[in-house]
Amino acid sequence: MEYLIHIAIIISIYSILSLGLNLILGYTGQLSLTHAAFFGIGAYAIAIGETKFHLNFFLALLIGIVVAGLLAIIIGIFLGRFRRDIYALASLGTNVILFSIFLNWTNLTRGPLGIPGIRRPEIFGFIFQSNFSFLLLCAFFSYLTYTILHRLLKTPFGLTLKAIREDEDVLSSFGYKVKTIKTTAFVISAIFTAIAGRLLASYITFIDPSTFDFNESIYFLSVVIIGGLADLRGSILGTIILVILPEALRFLGLPSDLAANLRQILYGLALIMMILFRPQGFLGKYKM
Amino acid sequence: MNALTTTKLTKHFAGTKALDELCLEFEHRKITGLIGPNGSGKTTLINIISNFLQADSGEYTIHEDAKLNSDLSQTNQPKFSRTFQNVRLFDQMTVLDNIILVLNDKNFTNLFVNDNRLEKKATNILKKIGLRESAHKLAGELSYGQRKLLEIGRVLASNSQLILLDEPFAGLFPQMIETVKKHINTLKLHGKTVILIEHNIQLIRELCDRVTVLNCGKSLASGETTTTLSQPEVLGAYLGK
Amino acid sequence: MFAQILTNSLIAGSVYAIMAISFSLVYSSTKFFNMAHGMIAVVGGYLVLTLTKLLGLGAIPSIILGIISTGLCGVIIHFIVFEPLKKRQSSSTTLLVASLGVMIIIQAIISILFTSQFKTLGANYNLGNIYTIASATFTEINLVTIISALSIFAFLIIIFKYTRFGKIVRALNDSEEVATIVGIDTKKTIRYLIFIGSAIAGVAGILTGYDTGLEPTMGMRLLLKGIVATIIGGTNSLGGALIGAYFLASVENFGIWKLSGEWKDAIALGLLIIFLVFRPRGIIRK
Repeated sequence: MEYLIHIAIIISIYSILSLGLNLILGYTGQLSLTHAAFFGIGAYAIAIGETKFHLNFFLALLIGIVVAGLLAIIIGIFLGRFRRDIYALASLGTNVILFSIFLNWTNLTRGPLGIPGIRRPEIFGFIFQSNFSFLLLCAFFSYLTYTILHRLLKTPFGLTLKAIREDEDVLSSFGYKVKTIKTTAFVISAIFTAIAGRLLASYITFIDPSTFDFNESIYFLSVVIIGGLADLRGSILGTIILVILPEALRFLGLPSDLAANLRQILYGLALIMMILFRPQGFLGKYKM
Repeated sequence: MNALTTTKLTKHFAGTKALDELCLEFEHRKITGLIGPNGSGKTTLINIISNFLQADSGEYTIHEDAKLNSDLSQTNQPKFSRTFQNVRLFDQMTVLDNIILVLNDKNFTNLFVNDNRLEKKATNILKKIGLRESAHKLAGELSYGQRKLLEIGRVLASNSQLILLDEPFAGLFPQMIETVKKHINTLKLHGKTVILIEHNIQLIRELCDRVTVLNCGKSLASGETTTTLSQPEVLGAYLGK
Repeated sequence: MFAQILTNSLIAGSVYAIMAISFSLVYSSTKFFNMAHGMIAVVGGYLVLTLTKLLGLGAIPSIILGIISTGLCGVIIHFIVFEPLKKRQSSSTTLLVASLGVMIIIQAIISILFTSQFKTLGANYNLGNIYTIASATFTEINLVTIISALSIFAFLIIIFKYTRFGKIVRALNDSEEVATIVGIDTKKTIRYLIFIGSAIAGVAGILTGYDTGLEPTMGMRLLLKGIVATIIGGTNSLGGALIGAYFLASVENFGIWKLSGEWKDAIALGLLIIFLVFRPRGIIRK
């Protein structure tokens, strides 16, 4: 039972991330390879906030949202000037640079040593110590993310995102401020990713830079593409499949190193298969 | 004051001059045909005016007609609306959405507010162009003629005074040509200024009050349709066509 | 000090140059950013490792076999994954994403087969001689690296300028459509180019294996340096790739004189960003 709760927590946390990434990747059509960095920013914000400044979870959450948001504005504006492949390259660049900062700004992040001892969140005296209570917290955030994005996508803003994906120059000629729209979508997506990072940090109570390198960005990409671009349910489905499948490997009793590598092969294969045979993913509304 | 004036507009493409210090004027509320041999700069001119290209030098100005009651409820209204030679629609979005995108309030903060009247407005426009039944089809699923009609629909939906049409009749069969002609005349009735790129001289004669002839990026002749079309230089440019 | 930094730049730059040249070849023929290209280089290194350490072959035959096999690897992957996608007119972005999948698969397979520990090639072959010129030291491998880079470059220039194959490649670069119409077998030519490009990448992996060692994650680093160098130098020119590579290595090595060594990657990517923003066509003005 504990194991199931653990899986459910992982699924909830990563679903927030997938939903956020789908907004920028599936709906707006921007191939962002930098999201692992924002995942990390969320995690480090909580970690540093709690261990260095002894802030409580929710205050650190708020500050983390502001930090992630500001950084996302800068990076979003910067990336917005590129299209397609170059966008992907440039976003890869920002991921690597931010990862370098996680790794090398040892005064703040303790570099490769990581930050241990992150506590579970506490609100009004109640500590989310039990995994079950933590699951409820994560599920709540996941539900919140889904609802907010669902509403957002029904507005004219959501419509413009899809149009940007198709032909941003024509949309621009209608009089829309396309740059602002793109940046906003990026910021929203980055903030949700950071929130997921925060939750992860509080759950595993220890973080180090390796969780936020470029390979992670590729995993996130896979989940969204496989689940389905431009469909929120697809992101949930993709997360469930790509969390459960590798876990199934554990049951084969494989050593964790091997399991991790097999998981990577699985993601890579699933990604390639999808692109070759079903480019819209399982539930997607848009073909890559 | 003219609807559109260009001053010494120049544009190079890999060594050739697509536009060569072009100075033109287009009158308000008239349909002006823009003709000339292939490569004379017609589409380049339209692309520059609609911000799809940057000119290398020179300027252009779009003057809005003060007499026309412009819909001031929307800011960020572009000064022009256009169609494309190679039809650029949002193919993976519905026909209805393609129109709604033109009707939306472009103001950034208003993007987060739903306006329920727009769907009705969009449907009415689809009725006018005969695409009502295809409202929920994806634009990419339409036939070629329907796609061109949808582009006209987008133009009808916009509030802009200056309309730029790049070969809207190309590839259409006669029945559709009549439909498009009808819509272009409606635009004129509503006081819009239309610049029409077209190769079919018959259509130019039927629709246009004025005509501007380009050749090698320069203006060859410009003026009232019948007189301009009978000028020897114009005939000369077309005999080689 | 200065001489050492210069020497280091020359050495590092040579590896980057080999990567950049190979990447440039592959990119100009397939027209998309193949993110798995770095892993191809790594495959080369590990192939030589297998041949020498596990099968006991001599260094020279292993290297030759390794280079050829790496070339074949590249073509096979292209054939299985990218050709089908290209056939259905997939966008370059789609191909990029597919290449990410290929990249992580190769990386994981190598990790499984060889573990993620550092492995060196030729440990029994004791680094060779160490030379010193004007207070700058470098090893025999470093010398071989520099010579290899310049030789590969010269070799390719000669091929592209003076052979029939070179003419075909230039025609293909100009316009794939026209080349097909004129009767050039573009598919076959592209495969040859990928073979050559992958083989050259393998050289980079092998040289690095002899110099600092192999580990599965080095593919990304090699690829990034190759891409940055190509963008700095301009994607259409071999000479540009060379210049870009040495320029990148110089900025890195002079940069870490003041900062610490771990910031090398960030410097490289920073340079990429600067060029993407200010000079996307590369250092050479057309």
